[in-house]
Amino acid sequence: MTMPKLIIDNREVEVPKGSTILEAAAKLGIEIPTMCFLKGIRPSTSCMVCVVEIEGTDKLLPACGTIAQEGMHIETNSSEVIEARKMALELLLSDHLGDCMGPCQMICPAHMDIPLMIRQIASGQLKSAIETVKKDIPLPAVLGRICPAPCEKGCRRSFFDKPLSICLLKRYVADVDIAAAERYIPICRPSTGKKVAIIGAGPAGLSSAYYLQQNGIQCTVFDKNEKAGGMIRYAIEPERLPPQVLDEEIAIIQKLGTEFVLNRKISSPSELLDTFDAVLAATGQEKLPDCSQPGIFAISEKIAKQKMAVRAVEEGKKAAYMITLFLSGKPVVEPPKPFNTRIGKIEADEINAFMGLVSKNQRQEPKTQYAGLTDEQAVIESVRCMHCDCRKADDCKLRQLSDEFHARPAKYASERRKFVQHIQHELVIYEPGKCIRCGLCIEIANEAKEPLGLTFIGRGFDVQVAVPFDKSLADGLKITAEKCANACPTGALAFKEIISG
Amino acid sequence: METIDLKYVDDLIEKTGTGREKVLQILQAIQAHYGYLPAEALQRVCELTEITPAAITGVSSFYNMFRYRPAGKHIIHICVGTACHVKGAELVYDAFNRYLEIPAGQDTDAKSLFTIEKVACLGCCTLAPAVQIDQVTYGHLTPNTVSSVIEDFLRQQELKSKVLPVTSKPSAGFKGEIRLGLGSCCIARGSGKLQQAVQDVLDETGIEARTKKVGCVGMCYQTPLLEIVLPDNNSFLYARVRPEDAKPIILRHFKIPKVKKKISYSVSTMLDRLLTDNIGTKTLRYPLDVREDQVADFLGKQKRIATEHCGNIDPVDIDEYIKSGGFDAMKNCLTKLSSQQIISQIHISGLRGRGGAGYRTDLKWMAVKNSPSKEKYVICNGDEGDPGAFMDRMIMESYPFRIIEGMIIAAYVVDAHKGYFYIRSEYPLALKRISEAIEKCKQYGFLGDNITGSGFSLELKIVPGAGAFVCGEETALIASIEGRRGMPRLRPPYPAEHGLWDHPTLINNVETYAAVPWIIRNGADEYSKLGTEHSRGTKVFALAGKIAQGGLIEVPMGISIREIIEDIGGGIGGGLTFKAVQIGGPSGGCVPALLSHIPVDYESLHDAGAIMGSGGLVVLDETDCMVDIARYFLQFTQNQSCGRCTFCRVGTRRMLDILDRLCTGGGKKGDIEELEHLALMIKKASICGLGRTAPNPVLSTIQYFRSEYEAHIEKRCPAAKCKALISYSVTDDCIGCTLCAQNCPVQAIEMKPYEKHEIDKSKCIRCNTCKIICPQDAIKVE
Repeated sequence: MTMPKLIIDNREVEVPKGSTILEAAAKLGIEIPTMCFLKGIRPSTSCMVCVVEIEGTDKLLPACGTIAQEGMHIETNSSEVIEARKMALELLLSDHLGDCMGPCQMICPAHMDIPLMIRQIASGQLKSAIETVKKDIPLPAVLGRICPAPCEKGCRRSFFDKPLSICLLKRYVADVDIAAAERYIPICRPSTGKKVAIIGAGPAGLSSAYYLQQNGIQCTVFDKNEKAGGMIRYAIEPERLPPQVLDEEIAIIQKLGTEFVLNRKISSPSELLDTFDAVLAATGQEKLPDCSQPGIFAISEKIAKQKMAVRAVEEGKKAAYMITLFLSGKPVVEPPKPFNTRIGKIEADEINAFMGLVSKNQRQEPKTQYAGLTDEQAVIESVRCMHCDCRKADDCKLRQLSDEFHARPAKYASERRKFVQHIQHELVIYEPGKCIRCGLCIEIANEAKEPLGLTFIGRGFDVQVAVPFDKSLADGLKITAEKCANACPTGALAFKEIISG
Repeated sequence: METIDLKYVDDLIEKTGTGREKVLQILQAIQAHYGYLPAEALQRVCELTEITPAAITGVSSFYNMFRYRPAGKHIIHICVGTACHVKGAELVYDAFNRYLEIPAGQDTDAKSLFTIEKVACLGCCTLAPAVQIDQVTYGHLTPNTVSSVIEDFLRQQELKSKVLPVTSKPSAGFKGEIRLGLGSCCIARGSGKLQQAVQDVLDETGIEARTKKVGCVGMCYQTPLLEIVLPDNNSFLYARVRPEDAKPIILRHFKIPKVKKKISYSVSTMLDRLLTDNIGTKTLRYPLDVREDQVADFLGKQKRIATEHCGNIDPVDIDEYIKSGGFDAMKNCLTKLSSQQIISQIHISGLRGRGGAGYRTDLKWMAVKNSPSKEKYVICNGDEGDPGAFMDRMIMESYPFRIIEGMIIAAYVVDAHKGYFYIRSEYPLALKRISEAIEKCKQYGFLGDNITGSGFSLELKIVPGAGAFVCGEETALIASIEGRRGMPRLRPPYPAEHGLWDHPTLINNVETYAAVPWIIRNGADEYSKLGTEHSRGTKVFALAGKIAQGGLIEVPMGISIREIIEDIGGGIGGGLTFKAVQIGGPSGGCVPALLSHIPVDYESLHDAGAIMGSGGLVVLDETDCMVDIARYFLQFTQNQSCGRCTFCRVGTRRMLDILDRLCTGGGKKGDIEELEHLALMIKKASICGLGRTAPNPVLSTIQYFRSEYEAHIEKRCPAAKCKALISYSVTDDCIGCTLCAQNCPVQAIEMKPYEKHEIDKSKCIRCNTCKIICPQDAIKVE
């Protein structure tokens, strides 16, 4: 039988003898998910995410390592296969020690990419930094002065000395931008011709306008007060938040094309539906009538009661997302939550492992009350960050597939391992807690005839990948570090210096 | 830090070779020499051979037997096999740790005299709980006999009494034969000392009788066994013989030569004591009549094929084997029969692999035969790792020639000229006997070039295992021989096409090969008359656990479980009730008492949720907790998993987490369903048999004993076994003898002579010592 013929998902395919089911499926354009497979390396059939159902046996077999045979009937997408993929991912997640997003970012109601911003500050890339910030927080100069900074409460650095001064670092980035000759203005999509009325120029309303304009939607913001800003302008002492700072931030929103109609109170949102395609009620304190009509969106008054502007900003962003869907005729759903694993609370004896070679600088404090950080202080502060977020958050197969198959990290949660990281190598960092034991790095090092390379140590659940004879990673991977880091399907082996963004 | 003398390593490599496949052999030698694997020694190996640091680290860390830290002077291997587990091995382990004051997290005492290691199974199940200190085996341990065992061992070391090699004195007139069972279990029960005593009597009296060691009779519960065989072929079997009984027994049957008549001895008094008919005593002092009910029951329903001539022949006496028909089948095959004819015989016999999977032997042989290649291999899988199984050990120790004969026939059929015995290192006597047997075969021209002039050549070598249950899986076994980590791989391709060094390889179990000569000699039809339609022939089982008469039995397939347990095994000991029997070891399941009528064959057991497995039968009574049993087996397979595939490596651990919680009071609603959910997927999606069958004990105990699981969720253990869920208390039957208070290892009982004692529950560690020791049975556990 030189060219076996088989059926995959009810479609026939013919492949050269010796082809795997994975290859046969690919020929049909069917992409079976894999993690531990790498072309050119003999399949280790380890992760088992690529299992398929084969008629005639009740076993589920890995497509990467099973040879396609004449007459096979294969299902790659049956409910049992999907259940198996999900379980494989959930089992791997149960023994996966990592934070896709740093705890700071997880805690931030707006989920700002704090670690990235900090790395950009550290490397002097302040233009990139403001972009990173404004991706999630449109009023950073304001928030950098008034936010209670829940992010800092969750900062792991506090187990060593004091948390990162995240709020002030953000303020620094924003202030630099305000002072710059050319401020950062995000690119807006071409106009969709749609119009939205926003009632209330507080943080929620301003935030939603900021994002809607970027989506090509024309916004008109109504406010009963003389000036825009809502609670931010009228309920915060000017020493803390100078009005001109607020004005500068609002100016950017105006530059995007937002119209403001001030001194105008709107009592009924539905009257605006005649002239606008959608209405957002973002008044904060009062609850307006008619808010249940299609086309009328509302920010819950509970948000205002919490008195956290950052929450209001996040709600505004969310509303913008949903209104955009509505206006393009799509079903209205909340923005998808990205998949994340979390380590959670760390133990006292783990802090040194987290610190690694990170700077032991003390937390920088502003010179006077209400002052921000100086340029020098900002840099000194930024290198205190322990980089808890995963270096491969955007490039991790485990994260991507877990997202795709809705795998639940806590499904098989159990006592976790201790955090360890190997930092001795110049180029790469190795976190055994993220390893899925696929063995690719071992094979790559072996094929390249590294004198030491890597090996499996032990057996079973506690098997680990490590350098023989307890030597350092630098000794183990002399020539294949890059190749191994690229091949690693998770963040276990990752490049050290990634600014990314 | 002492520097290690590396000269040993240099010499070793010079002798052994530098190929990568030599790694396991080299590691075993280094460990034997230094007592552990010094890092410098390993590095030296890498310098002088093709073995890479990655390989030597990966391989040495895979197997249980290797250690990287020096050990104490003596190693105590505490068996935690199934039979030992149900008889309280965990409590014994704790007791050793307490007695030797070994700090938590370590395995060696402060004086570096003893190192304690748990071992998966010593294969001495009828002595459960068993421990092995260096080469000395002790049986029937309890937490409070630990101290006496250590003392005895240390005393033995001082005396350095050796077991004599058995020599057959050529005697002028054959006056008779004294046969001693000298399998591992027998020696552990004292037959070594008995052998010495017999020799002393013969020297002293000048009686011209030949002593002969014989292989395992299987009546392990009666050891030490001594049999007198007289020239008129009358034989007398004595059981549980103590060394001091040797003299009276011998004198009863043999006349003292006139020369030595003057020696005085008080035989008459001894004989008087001997000739009472006190049947009920623990030690039987009169010859066992094989018509005797107890023995008849044990031996009667058995049918000896793999264990033919049991008790009659010296394991390494090749002449005796030949005289009783040994190697006749081989000669017939090699000179008169074609491969096809032989396969046809095996086909008619219906022989199925006895290692556990039960795959048709003729099909396997055919597949290897039909794989085109100049180079092929035969392998004997002697890696019997099932805790609670010791059949293969017995067959290897007692009938090595039979296995070899079977292998030669198989090799001839498939056209292989090289072969290996893969034998686990926990069976030193088996390794020794097979090695001796191979040498004898070579001397007699039954192995090597041109076997008995047939033109067929076969070379057999031995590869000892290094402590990894998974190496019983055929692709893992092959990896092990090739010098790699013993990790199974996906099949197909099967070893029949791509096996050892990628060549077609036949792997069969010890018992399978052992059945072949009988089949050829007596005809396949005779064999297929035994057993059931799809499970022909006989099977050797290791009967252990809470059974009165434990031991090794060979019975025709189709016999019912009840017959095995009640008729052959004598029922449950101690007046307790039969609850279930674990069949098939960690891959198998529990068959409850209500199903004891089912026949023992591949299909019926499978339908009942168990598997035949390799033959371990562990009997359980009402004091055994089924959740604990399931947890025990899962702990075993989890520990032995190679770690390759997600469902086995992580999935079985998550199942174990649930079982741990159930047994320690952390059970939650939904646990049973979660166990089932995980179990079914792990069975479907694991790469090899270990993962695919690991959930079986859990699934079968849930099937038949779901109520026990539910009780554990409610934090109750109906069998009163799980330590965290039970409490010990003293009943009103207490007479105040203070024995419990004296022996409590944590002083949880205050000594109050003549008053009812009380156990301080906050201190009690549930070691069970008080319950064992109380003469009034006044300790209640609930």
